[in-house]
Amino acid sequence: MRRFVLPLLLLAEVAFFTAVSAPNINSLDALTTYLRHFVGDLLAQSAPILLLAAGMTLVLMTAGIDLSVGSMVALIACLMSSFPAGLGFWWTAVPAGLAFALFLGLTNGALVAILNIPPIIATLGTMILYRGLCFVLMGDLEKAPFVDVPGYEWLGQFSGAFAATALVFIIGGSFFEKSRWRREILMLGGNRVAARYAGIPVTRRLCEVYGLMGILAFLAALCFTARNSSVSASSLTGLELHVIVAVVLGGTRVQGGAGSLWGSFLGVLLIAVMDEGLRGAAVWGDKNLPFKISHLEYVLLGTLLVAGVWLNTRFGHRGQSE
Amino acid sequence: MKDRYSRALVQRLLVLVAGNVLLLGVIWFLMKEGSSFSQVLLRAGPNVAPVAVAGLGMTGIIFAGAIDLSIASIIVVAATIFGILVSHGFPPWVCHFACVLGAWSLSMANGYWVRLLRVPSIIVTLAGLAFYRGVALIVADVGVPGFSGNISVQDESYHAPGKVYAGWILALMLLLAAAWELFAKSPRRWLALGNSEEACRLLGVHPGRVLQSAYCVGGLFLGVAALIFTTRVQAIEPARMALGFELQVIGAVVLGGTNIFGGEGSYAGTVLGAFFLYLILELLIYSGVSPYFQELMTGAIILAVIGLDCAWHRKDQWLAELA
Repeated sequence: MRRFVLPLLLLAEVAFFTAVSAPNINSLDALTTYLRHFVGDLLAQSAPILLLAAGMTLVLMTAGIDLSVGSMVALIACLMSSFPAGLGFWWTAVPAGLAFALFLGLTNGALVAILNIPPIIATLGTMILYRGLCFVLMGDLEKAPFVDVPGYEWLGQFSGAFAATALVFIIGGSFFEKSRWRREILMLGGNRVAARYAGIPVTRRLCEVYGLMGILAFLAALCFTARNSSVSASSLTGLELHVIVAVVLGGTRVQGGAGSLWGSFLGVLLIAVMDEGLRGAAVWGDKNLPFKISHLEYVLLGTLLVAGVWLNTRFGHRGQSE
Repeated sequence: MKDRYSRALVQRLLVLVAGNVLLLGVIWFLMKEGSSFSQVLLRAGPNVAPVAVAGLGMTGIIFAGAIDLSIASIIVVAATIFGILVSHGFPPWVCHFACVLGAWSLSMANGYWVRLLRVPSIIVTLAGLAFYRGVALIVADVGVPGFSGNISVQDESYHAPGKVYAGWILALMLLLAAAWELFAKSPRRWLALGNSEEACRLLGVHPGRVLQSAYCVGGLFLGVAALIFTTRVQAIEPARMALGFELQVIGAVVLGGTNIFGGEGSYAGTVLGAFFLYLILELLIYSGVSPYFQELMTGAIILAVIGLDCAWHRKDQWLAELA
């Protein structure tokens, strides 16, 4: 049932916001041009969240959670922004960012897997820690070396965003769906003790998942900086909420042991369309409502999250009971 | 006392007491001529009050195996209500009462939704974190004519609870919490629920009702914390106010030795944890470290203390896994 609900909901949302925010479409041509721009913008805008959602899906499958993603992306972007611009950026800042991202992800993994800290506490701590590092690194500055790097803005356009998400969701996803690795992390999410007795290297798998989250955060940082071109220490606060809401809407269980990448993909788009639609409806809102319509975003986000989880527990995953 | 606190918890309390004393000692040592140590002590109470009082409420909720991530947003809603009433010229006591009542009723609503939907409390309150912030912004837009991002409260008579009596309110709340923990039945019920919902049900204790009572009492503490928090600031800014406050509070609770999954913990630990986090930051200021390091240190301390604790008790965890 769920398989059809999300796409239908997405279509309904697109149709509704198109009707509200672009009322002067009168021919088929105008509609297709509008939709082409809309989809292009949407993907380029939401590429970072899409990439993070892929990683978060895996983390939630292991019965963990990663609250530090927002700080992690910001910290990687901050680190890369302290390198000088120019062609050299590609072989200094980018590899350094990747290595640092992997290190940050593995730090989370080590805290969770080796020290046995509950994931929500561990990543809450690293969320504050990484954000603190951002401030130590940047102070109050806002840096933007990314505009002067040749070829960098490609990542922020539709084609770049498409390449990155396709790499993760289509190529990575198809390997992932069939792999033994996927079943192993699902099992360790479902029952960690049983997984250990079944001979699954639990510690290693957890480190791998959190390390992968780090690499995806690096890709997200690339897409984000290419599109927004500047970064400061307080960029991207609250990103983790968007990511978690999207993943949960997509049908991944927060208690671990179940989840799908495809659902997360749709979940992110659902939220992105909503954001974009509210932005488009701002003019209409100013005329007809007593409050700013953008404030509705928070309210809708919260409602969607609870509704999504409630639907998951009520109707999702037949045969699994609490 | 002996059978309620585990060895690990007592160890944590002792470490925190020693840590606080040590921190005070180092601050005293670092102080320059002319600044007085008694000022530091007198300032500590009011400054810690919002985190400590909200922490007392959160402790009870965490006892029961639940959590409330939305407390910062709840405080913002309460503050917005306060601001609107002030801007319409209501007398101070009405505004203060409405602020407490607002926070309390939203906390009750959280408990109610958790019970009704049977969704994990972390999800419900994560949603509340976004939801209530949006509600606060909308209420401010509707309630204040010509709202431009913040509601400024100039009249000092409205600021009495936060600026004059904060320390006394904290002391009163501490006494209440101590009496509550020693004599009341509900904290033990919450701990029982946090340990095993099934066992509670079998013994005839209604899990939903117990959880609701945890949110109810937590909401009262949160209301007082919201009152202190709101009346300490000059302007109420719904979009930016209290961002990250829930992390400070949860940090203090967890640092105090309360198990984040419920079933074990103490009120005293929370207060000690709140003071510990505050004194560390105070120490950084006195030792001349750049203020940019504050957040870094907070995160590092939470991770270090809890990491060490988990590493020490890893053997117990393995044994529990085998059993």
